[in-house]
Amino acid sequence: MGTLLEIRDLKVSFDTEEGKVEALDGVNLKVKEGEFHALIGETGCGKTVTGLTILGLLDNNAKIENGQVIYKGIDLLKLTEKQLQQQIRGKEITMIFQDPSTSLDPIFTIEEQMLEALENELELTKEEKLKIITEELRKVKLPDVEELLKKYPHQLSGGMKQRVMIAMMLSCRPSLLIADEPTTALDVSTQAQFLKILEDLKRETKITAIYITHNLAVVSEICDTVSVMYAGRIVETASLKEIFLNPQHPYTYKLLHSVLGIETDIEQLQEIPGSVPKLINPPSGCRFHPRCEEAKDICKTKIPKLQEISDGHFVACHKRVMEWTKC
Amino acid sequence: MRTHGNYIFRRTLRALFTALGVSLVAFLILHLAPGDPVKIMLGPYATEENVKALKARYNLDKPLYIQYFTWIKNIFTGEFGTSIRYNRPVSELIKERMGPTLILTGSGLLVAVILGILFGTLAALKKNSILDYITTFQTMFWLSVPSFWLAIVFLYIFGLKLRWIPIAGMTSFSSTILPIMTIGLRQQAWFARPMRAEMLEVLSQNYIKALKAKGLKYEKIIWKHAFKNALIPIITMVALQLPWIIGGAVVIEVVFSWGGMGSLLVGSVLSRDYQVVQTILLFISLAVVAANLLADILYTLIDPRIRIER
Repeated sequence: MGTLLEIRDLKVSFDTEEGKVEALDGVNLKVKEGEFHALIGETGCGKTVTGLTILGLLDNNAKIENGQVIYKGIDLLKLTEKQLQQQIRGKEITMIFQDPSTSLDPIFTIEEQMLEALENELELTKEEKLKIITEELRKVKLPDVEELLKKYPHQLSGGMKQRVMIAMMLSCRPSLLIADEPTTALDVSTQAQFLKILEDLKRETKITAIYITHNLAVVSEICDTVSVMYAGRIVETASLKEIFLNPQHPYTYKLLHSVLGIETDIEQLQEIPGSVPKLINPPSGCRFHPRCEEAKDICKTKIPKLQEISDGHFVACHKRVMEWTKC
Repeated sequence: MRTHGNYIFRRTLRALFTALGVSLVAFLILHLAPGDPVKIMLGPYATEENVKALKARYNLDKPLYIQYFTWIKNIFTGEFGTSIRYNRPVSELIKERMGPTLILTGSGLLVAVILGILFGTLAALKKNSILDYITTFQTMFWLSVPSFWLAIVFLYIFGLKLRWIPIAGMTSFSSTILPIMTIGLRQQAWFARPMRAEMLEVLSQNYIKALKAKGLKYEKIIWKHAFKNALIPIITMVALQLPWIIGGAVVIEVVFSWGGMGSLLVGSVLSRDYQVVQTILLFISLAVVAANLLADILYTLIDPRIRIER
């Protein structure tokens, strides 16, 4: 499988009233074609910013300081707003958001908003477009599609809206879907339903996805590869199995052990001491070192690079990489 | 679930009750105020008999509630009574004066709505640009000057100094420009500022990001989605501003010697011409009630959430 999207050394900062926030500080990420790539981490670690940067949807106070986002050989950061709109958004890459209740325009019908997704398909007649969107809505298991098309967003439940969103985004046949915590705002049973739909889509459409979440259970259901983010950096990337069975970065380890699972035999729930650092004045060196029990002097001064320690397993930790190179 | 028709019916019923209440207030406010129209008319040396006879002629000797109900009853038959000052039917006077007032307030409102929405939208789209700052400055300026002062300054500059436009009356098309612009320029400030705020608010909404994510054209996102959403609260603003526009028009009519209902009203108040004053007050109040009703109905056409839910 080839690489569909590669993010290289991406740095993004925000101008805020309290000062400059270094939201992303050297993010490196490779997304392979056809995989569901989980981007996991605590709130405020830069997951959503990463997703928004790919599509050029950052707010005006954001500044891309450095880096490349290579998609099918093109650096997306070099494209103009117009090029992004005409060539990338919707057609190649699209995104669904955390809160479905605010993701649809309240004053237009579902039909109107679904049809907009196909607006650039000039050769299609309205009937053909209607047929496509009806099919897409059926694919996400929405009942009474004909009636649903005439409805307005406020007449739909949260779960239905999120399914409409995904049907809408998929009807333009993108190659890459960025899903930003799509189940967080849904209740648990709706979450399970939604994940089942994603699983089916994955099997049937071979779409590639970046799945942004802080929920490990969700990740284990549908993702193939996991990247763990901490304070604006990727600290570990590995296959799902490797992450769960052989976590290398101390943060990944702590993260896994701070969640209760039925299958895991963890005796006591552990919390990670300290709290997520403020990115206005982030810690030097490895940003996790103030909370890391294994931190050494080098961790306080030198930023650890993401290095491959076994096939497809990358980790950014001085201690682990040293241990690995020794044996 | 209540239907759309039901909603409009209930709103109309409510408007009718409001109108009834308003008619009572319009009636009482005048009759309870000091001053006697008959005495004003006949002068200080009138005899007791003359005063009595005249009062009987205009029904002013009856108890207040009888006068009120007679008035209401007559309204439905198109009988608004007789003006004491002009000794002519009030309906005739109003028919003459209604047109000029409608032209003045209607055009003023139209100018205000168009300019306000235009300035507000552009200021939001070009936030923190020169255009945005100019909009902030000009709206603050118009909001700060009283309309009578503005009317006099306009008259001085364009009428007396530059001699572009006749200074008073309704003689030609050019004479309508100053009074209309006095209303329009001031009122647009009331619409431009909320329009800018609404537009910025809508543009920061999640669905705008989602529309971008599906690859929709910028122009469509702005003019189809953001603009229409931002316009909803502005409809209420316009309805709420209508009383102020009418109130402002009264003053402006007097300054520009504009022969509308406003100048008729002022003259009639000064001479305690009850029938005329209460009829005009009623007409103005009904216009305001009707505008609010219209705003409510317009709302339902543009915002589906109100159409179906409430």
